[in-house]
Amino acid sequence: MSLTRQLEAYLGRIWEQPVQVDNMSRIPGGASRETYRFDARVGGLTRHLILRRDPVGSLIDTDRRLEFLAFRSFHGTGLPVPEAVALEEEGAELERPFFIMGRIDGGKAQSPFSEPPYGVHAAGIGQQFFSHLGSIARADPFALPIAEFAPAPALDSCWSRELDYWEGVINEDEEHPQPIVRAAIRRLRRAPPPPAQKLSVIHGDYRTGNFLHDGAGKIIALLDWEMAHIGDPLEDLGWAIEPLWSYGETDRVSGMLPREEAIAIWESASGLTLDPQAFAWWELFASVKGAAIWISAAKEYRAGGLMDPVLGFSGWYTARRQDEVIARKLCALEGLS
Amino acid sequence: MTPTVPELLLGNFLCLTSPPPPESMGEFLQGRVAITGMIAMLSAQEAEHGIDARVWENAAIRDLLRQGAARHGAAFLEAARAVESDLNLATLDRVNADLRRALIDLHIRAEISGDQGLDHAILRFYRQSADRRRLDLPASPAS
Repeated sequence: MSLTRQLEAYLGRIWEQPVQVDNMSRIPGGASRETYRFDARVGGLTRHLILRRDPVGSLIDTDRRLEFLAFRSFHGTGLPVPEAVALEEEGAELERPFFIMGRIDGGKAQSPFSEPPYGVHAAGIGQQFFSHLGSIARADPFALPIAEFAPAPALDSCWSRELDYWEGVINEDEEHPQPIVRAAIRRLRRAPPPPAQKLSVIHGDYRTGNFLHDGAGKIIALLDWEMAHIGDPLEDLGWAIEPLWSYGETDRVSGMLPREEAIAIWESASGLTLDPQAFAWWELFASVKGAAIWISAAKEYRAGGLMDPVLGFSGWYTARRQDEVIARKLCALEGLS
Repeated sequence: MTPTVPELLLGNFLCLTSPPPPESMGEFLQGRVAITGMIAMLSAQEAEHGIDARVWENAAIRDLLRQGAARHGAAFLEAARAVESDLNLATLDRVNADLRRALIDLHIRAEISGDQGLDHAILRFYRQSADRRRLDLPASPAS
């Protein structure tokens, strides 16, 4: 049975009326899940929806329930987050776990490897990008649906939980010795950050490429919450500012704003004050997390029979760029020219 | 390194010759074709520069191991003796893996013993080796 027919059967069952699915089309992006857009005609209405289904192999192992609850946590709060519609952890008619969410049409997502994409709108998009991230950091995670499922670490163990997890991924998936990221991990362990100022919802992959903008300067959707969890809000800011997402620019983070300006916007929206020493730790951690994801992608590429070029590209080109970023950070932290 | 150029090019072939399901035509297929194109282009760079980068890296690691052996143990001198039987990428990578393992051990020793001179030499090597392995992807136009 085609995916379209499977979806019709599923939606017809849960909505208890006939459903016609049209315009089913897989879309790029969201590399940890298969992502499809489709229209569901039901009761004389057309609903514009997105299906996110677990793949056979993936860039990262994530929990679709956390992602679903993250959408539910922020939809309708003033942030541009789509509605969470349905979650099936056992796969039901679609055979693999999936969830369905509302679709926001008319937006563009930019590859981190395209030319600086925002033109005259760069500063305005940057203002929204870091302000939205600050709003996520400001929110009380325990008042949100995600707290039903996401474990809450102690303030002084946010860093070790994340570092333990991503070092574990590297230990498990590394297929060629990686001295650069190993040196970074040791450095992070030698000098841990202070306890988090507060616990926040962490988007987990908040960066260029994971939001839609309307081409006229407005962010219209924050997407790809598959690595959402509760932790230190500096984690998300460090990932957002990671040089890998900056189009090779050195004077604007994410191709949007000067670094100090981006941080000031985040501080204003979050109500938090950035501790430079703590943030230096989270910035290096962001690069280690990136390396772990690319190392994992390389392994998954082989395991999947070399069929997914996104995994191959990530485990090769992106991994090498990440090595450059980490090596430069390590030298800079030692004051080496 | 992982994945290798032969794997990537085989993957490109498999990807392009496998018929996609109807719902994966259009935008998704276009994206996959674009990525296979990028991989092919970067593979050409690797074919041109990959051997030089690995020969340089393996020699540089041997120098560091020899440099560290006096303070941190003769085992590093032994590790530096790993040699390539030929200069194809697979052979260079196999030797590189052994040399890198020894380098990681040496770097740990340097950090623990406070051997800042060696620590900094290794950090500079990391930066140089990452630069030499860099693949240059021309920026694609923003959509």
